[in-house]
Amino acid sequence: MRRAILLGLGGLMLAGAAPAFSGDPAAGRKVANMCRTCHGLDGFARIPIAPHIGGEPESYLQRQLRAFKSGARRHEMMTVVASGLSERQMDDVSAWYAAHKATASLPAGTDPANAPEACTACHGVDGIALFEDAPNLAGETNIYIDTQLKAFKRGKRTHEIMNGIAEAMSDEEIRAAADWYASVEFKVDAATK
Amino acid sequence: MKQIIALAVAASFFAGGAFAQSGQVPDNLEKLSGFKTTGVTEFTFIEQGGDYAVGIEKTLERISLPDGFKIELYAVVPDARHMAVGPQGIVTFVGTRKDKVWSVTDRNKDRVADEVKDFAPSLTFSIPNGPCFSKDGFLYIAEQNRVLLFPAAEFFYESPDVAAFNLVAKGDLIPPDEESFNHTARVCRIGPDGKIYISLGQPFNVAPADKLDLYNKWGIGGMIRLNLDGTGREVYTYGIRNSVGHDFHPATGELWFTDNQVDGMGDDIPPGELNRQTAAGQNFGHPWYGGGDTRTNEYKGEEPPADTVMPVVATVAHAADLGMHFYTGRMFPEKYKHAIFSAQHGSWNRTTPVGARVMVTFIDDQGNAAIEPFAEGWLDEATGEYLGRPVDVAQLPDGSILVSDDLAGALYRISYTK
Repeated sequence: MRRAILLGLGGLMLAGAAPAFSGDPAAGRKVANMCRTCHGLDGFARIPIAPHIGGEPESYLQRQLRAFKSGARRHEMMTVVASGLSERQMDDVSAWYAAHKATASLPAGTDPANAPEACTACHGVDGIALFEDAPNLAGETNIYIDTQLKAFKRGKRTHEIMNGIAEAMSDEEIRAAADWYASVEFKVDAATK
Repeated sequence: MKQIIALAVAASFFAGGAFAQSGQVPDNLEKLSGFKTTGVTEFTFIEQGGDYAVGIEKTLERISLPDGFKIELYAVVPDARHMAVGPQGIVTFVGTRKDKVWSVTDRNKDRVADEVKDFAPSLTFSIPNGPCFSKDGFLYIAEQNRVLLFPAAEFFYESPDVAAFNLVAKGDLIPPDEESFNHTARVCRIGPDGKIYISLGQPFNVAPADKLDLYNKWGIGGMIRLNLDGTGREVYTYGIRNSVGHDFHPATGELWFTDNQVDGMGDDIPPGELNRQTAAGQNFGHPWYGGGDTRTNEYKGEEPPADTVMPVVATVAHAADLGMHFYTGRMFPEKYKHAIFSAQHGSWNRTTPVGARVMVTFIDDQGNAAIEPFAEGWLDEATGEYLGRPVDVAQLPDGSILVSDDLAGALYRISYTK
């Protein structure tokens, strides 16, 4: 029941014209100068090791930035970046990237039935997340997804749902899931200013 | 002798056409090692020319070079990273930080590539950043956690099924628990001693103390070397943070390498590095030093190793010095003989971006080195936007050089006419 409600809200969020942000997207655009070399100004990643963050749910981005800042999640570059951001800046830049619209489409001839079963309930068949707590996976570099799943599997990254799911996957299943979402055609439409 | 037999076996197999169809197996490497086919026949071809190429050519009009040099688009190659030019001059292999290795062929020798397609499409690669060739035509590809070797790759790459063997099997390059995506762009080169030298970046900004023993044992945060039959692995270099480019001086045979330095200490420190190694086992100072003689905050109170070797050249902070190559060609003026061409990828977190250019380093008789920009203009200083990010430099048989760019997804050729 809860899931159905969340799904409904998620649908509204993604389809809605002007979602309300807790941060200020215009102020976040300036903060994004620190992010653009890797994540792009519109959140379409410019290097393979960085994920696409354009059109990601605002609350997901806020949580990840705070996790990098607190040390709960670690990354060689992001730990350095987040350590210098204020609460306000984290909210603003999250709002900036959330304000863009992410769209995904399966490559022609792909059978949706082959999508990785363990992932689709939250991340969607096409990698556009169905819950605020889940990131989009569409079009990410397969090695990025592979790396995150292995980090969950080995306990280097923690999440109440993801650790259990990744532990149940073999390295081959992890790579297959990564390949599936990496093959999705992904696009970010920039927010209007 | 062993190599000759392998070649002969491979040649007779392909000539004989003994292709046996069979079902999918998880690891096609097993089949390719047994000179069997995998059933994979499809190449991915990358369109050359067209609108995409026109866009890149427009950027190249901005690039400034010393008099007499010019830069042209050589090939469109997605995610192009480190390069290995075949010793026969037939094909250039290009690694990526994704899952493909590209083969780039200039069939009509007009110095522009005609065909770009994926290499060994039946194999599943993970971060195959680093290809390198031995003089006798064996291609090595250093991945995240494996090194493969391909005998006579310049001849067999035209087939989707190419003979392939483990030099270092999956999971044996580093402990799988230590795998990462960042600092995992491996580079390999064959040294004058006939051993393969492979850089292994450590995954942290500053390596933590509780990892140092493990890392030193494996050569993580260092460079390893091994024989071309996979035996004799040893750690050759210690105290590296993340080296993504090395080459051997053509006259002295000494190993030179770039190293990327610590982030988060300020816009102007610590410097990037170009290093020279004169003996096996030397230590280059990470994590005690963040770059040059700048001490890291994390190890401020600790005594660094007494024999720490300082860089020969301190480069501008955060410019990300990556691939490098000693020039041995005859096309460029005499002063470039044995100079180092190297690529600066460009900074990712400096307030004012810096880098995205090709540098040249001249070394005098005393071994003193001086670095200066050679090709620049990929950074639009008005907007701070990168129009391209150079990664590696390689030399073609005619003495011109190739520069790879993983942002634009291209190889450029720089040539000289008097």
